[in-house]
Amino acid sequence: MLTQPDARRLIDRITALVRATKGAEAIVAVRGSREGNTRFAVNEITSSGDVDRLAITLTVQLGQRSASATTNQQDDRSIDDLVGGALRMARLAPENPEQMPLLGRQSYAPVKAAADPATAKLTPDVRAKAAGAALSAAAGAKVVIAGFVGHGNHSLALGTSEGLSAYHAWTTCGMSCTARTPDATGSGWAGAGSNRMADLDAAALAKAAVDKATASAAPRKLEPGRYTVVLEPAAVASLLAFLTNSFDARRADEGRSFFSKRHPGDKLFPETITLRSDPGDAALASAPFDGEGFPLTATRWIDKGVLTGLPYSRFWARKQGKPASGRLGGGGGRGGDGGGSVGWALDGGSATRDELIKGVQRGVLVTRFWYLRALDPQTVLVTGLTRDGTFLIENGAISHPVNNFRFNESPVQMLARCDGLGATAIPSGVEGGAMRVPVLRSHEFNLASISEAI
Amino acid sequence: MTFSRRSFLAGGSAGALALLAGPRLPAARGLLTEPKLDDLVKRALAAATKAGASYADVRVVRIRRETIATREDRVERVSANEEYGVGVRVIAGGAWGFAATPSVTANDAERAARDAVATAKANASLMKRPVVLAPVPANVDVWQTALIKDPFKIPLEDKAELLLAINREAMKVPGVKFATSQYAAIAEWKLLASTDGAYIEQEIVRLGPSYTVTAVDDKRGEFESREHDLPPRQAGWEYVESSSLLADARRIGEEAVEKLKAPSVAPGKKDLILEPSNLYLTIHESIGHSTELDRAMGYEANAAGTSFATPDKRGKLRVAAPHLTFFADKTTPGGLATCGYDDDGVATQKWNLVENGVFVGYQTTREQAGWIGEPASRGTCYGDSYGSFPFQRMANVSLAPGPRERSLDDLIAATDDGIVIAGRGSWSIDHQRFNFQFGGQTFWEIKRGKKTRMLRDVAYQANTIEFWNSCDALGGPASWWLGGTLSDGKGEPGQVNSVSHGCPPARFKQVNILNTNRRNT
Repeated sequence: MLTQPDARRLIDRITALVRATKGAEAIVAVRGSREGNTRFAVNEITSSGDVDRLAITLTVQLGQRSASATTNQQDDRSIDDLVGGALRMARLAPENPEQMPLLGRQSYAPVKAAADPATAKLTPDVRAKAAGAALSAAAGAKVVIAGFVGHGNHSLALGTSEGLSAYHAWTTCGMSCTARTPDATGSGWAGAGSNRMADLDAAALAKAAVDKATASAAPRKLEPGRYTVVLEPAAVASLLAFLTNSFDARRADEGRSFFSKRHPGDKLFPETITLRSDPGDAALASAPFDGEGFPLTATRWIDKGVLTGLPYSRFWARKQGKPASGRLGGGGGRGGDGGGSVGWALDGGSATRDELIKGVQRGVLVTRFWYLRALDPQTVLVTGLTRDGTFLIENGAISHPVNNFRFNESPVQMLARCDGLGATAIPSGVEGGAMRVPVLRSHEFNLASISEAI
Repeated sequence: MTFSRRSFLAGGSAGALALLAGPRLPAARGLLTEPKLDDLVKRALAAATKAGASYADVRVVRIRRETIATREDRVERVSANEEYGVGVRVIAGGAWGFAATPSVTANDAERAARDAVATAKANASLMKRPVVLAPVPANVDVWQTALIKDPFKIPLEDKAELLLAINREAMKVPGVKFATSQYAAIAEWKLLASTDGAYIEQEIVRLGPSYTVTAVDDKRGEFESREHDLPPRQAGWEYVESSSLLADARRIGEEAVEKLKAPSVAPGKKDLILEPSNLYLTIHESIGHSTELDRAMGYEANAAGTSFATPDKRGKLRVAAPHLTFFADKTTPGGLATCGYDDDGVATQKWNLVENGVFVGYQTTREQAGWIGEPASRGTCYGDSYGSFPFQRMANVSLAPGPRERSLDDLIAATDDGIVIAGRGSWSIDHQRFNFQFGGQTFWEIKRGKKTRMLRDVAYQANTIEFWNSCDALGGPASWWLGGTLSDGKGEPGQVNSVSHGCPPARFKQVNILNTNRRNT
């Protein structure tokens, strides 16, 4: 992986080459990573590997024209080709009236302890040990386990011909397991993410998945309908990602979003609901700047149920006369477009999961959702399915496992009807990316049809 | 020291050498390999073997992408991306190991080979059964996409102008407020060499032009979008030139406006006619994924899920009506998953997955063939970059047309009360491939054999086996159409596969139609 001085030299070299062309300006991003993973399934390790990656992205601006080129090679010829190619494409590209000037020097709030030294140096035998703990747990309980242990050491250096210089290094890691009973009637999942491998307890995760598989065996039929639900964090995160993806002022102003009919100050949710982005949350692999080098700051977008505002890109902020907030992106790990996330988090509450269950006369406990897809951006209606541990709650306790369901529901309604929040967690391997979210109780959740899948 | 390609082969494998003299190589269009890669490949394989690998393969992969994105009257993004690197996959102690680097030098390839063996050895004690690969001939060959015009050589302005012209045409339609158009070209070049004698160069070129038009009703605060249905293909620029993308722009805009004014569907059971532009994705999700052997055996249980099509049901389970046959085919002309050889070095082929309605076959790799007692792999191994571990990925999976000519119009004329759906909308299916729910781009009501009016807010939800068994009519050979996607996801970490699916239009009896309108709740 490139060191920070190496990346800086590379950026300086490229910007100097671009500036040799009159009127040309440049923004260069150098992304480096070393990632490793071990997969296991059918109670043995199935594959494992380590990969080095590099991406040098140059965007050239010539007045209102621009173009980008990316290479992962740093030899002189590749760099010359990169610069020559981007300049050539920029000359040919039609003018874009929305193009903003490049940013100059900025200051950023550092993300404390973003890169964990032990995680950065993680070796395959550490992964094998974690996988081994899961395989042992499965053998002891006579279930079949599959899972994933992954980690990464990442860096992003940004620079512009206007003097911007930004650098961020961070680590990531995650582990998830799915245990299935040998008769294929029960399935259980558990997973967690962090930026420190020491935070992950492989044996505890595996035990949670194994226990849930055993408990969910031989599910009974439950009719579709609207139910009170207790959603574990993995389910909450995957549905919530569709709402965080909707946070964009331009789409709202153009009439293409749930927020088109809402305004800052509107009370959308109960007072217990606070949704924020926090680039300082190191465990979410956050970065303190976006892909243009714009500083990202911690923001409460929903504060005690009230919409405080929407994020504005630099162009839209100028057009609408508002302050810019940077490009957030929606999903956890995929957001921020600077390489890290922007740290989406839904505040939790003091209840435990079982305390939330205690308050339910009749409802459904959901472990996680799968294959979520938007149906209607205006209402943020989403479809998807439950999987890996779905249970009927009766009289304040888990009664028995039930079939899985397809749901058609909106995260807006999930939050609007929420009356209980528990401890937060960072589920791993969740569609929508890493987020910090609580276990949550909601009502009238539309479990629309039965899924026979186990 | 450098090795010529010939000296590599002479030192590497007697089988490969024998094939070099065979009839295939002279017929190939020419070798693309840089001479220094022979040295790199040989040294990496030797380093793996010396470190204790019982098998090794080296893939040198260069992927070029060109993308253009426009919005209304402006170009929002023009980008070119090139990624080059080398990945080494080994078996040592009966376990897989993998390592990859963007530094394409013999020294770094050797280091990757040693790292891969060390990783395999770290895992060996946790293996229950050693990995065993089905035999394969030592294939030596060159394969390239059949194309006339290299899309990377077409001037950028021409491509951008086509997209902007599409936007202009669509924006002329009253009620249309937004138009976005995109173009992507991907060239995947790779050299695969293995200790089993493979030495295969391939270049696969894929194109994906598309656009979306949005109509907005400001008074009601509502909007609807319509995407064009042109599928991505393995092809040259001539595919775009000969398409009706621009000619269709007004119609696409008009359909977006019409959809915005259309009545919301009444939910309930209805006969459904699915055009190929919609049905291809239903095939992908319900038949394509369910017949991947790794899923069926539990190898993807933690992420992509498992399958209803378990090995005990092979030859017995009636997945579909008796007149339906689904086949996998990695040789379909223009198919996105079409190639000469897979990443195991296995020659590609065509075979049946569902024959006369009965589930009969799986998609396999060399590692998997033995799991079900088959003597050879079906050739479906793929890694999406130098840095990706190759594993089972979907072939082009298609539905054979009916035996006699029958058009979409014939199917509509023969339907008393139903809905016809075109285009790809929202899609979702459970992790064993039973319960699915799909939307579409346009929805037309059929009454007494005629399309009457457009509807909106339509989704159909069904169980895979009930759905395919409810199919009572198929279009004929002339109505067969090849759709496809550039973004089929699977694995951890996620990898992307490009895959096509051909099918005729088809009719399904009494399918559950949902109304997805929540605007007033």
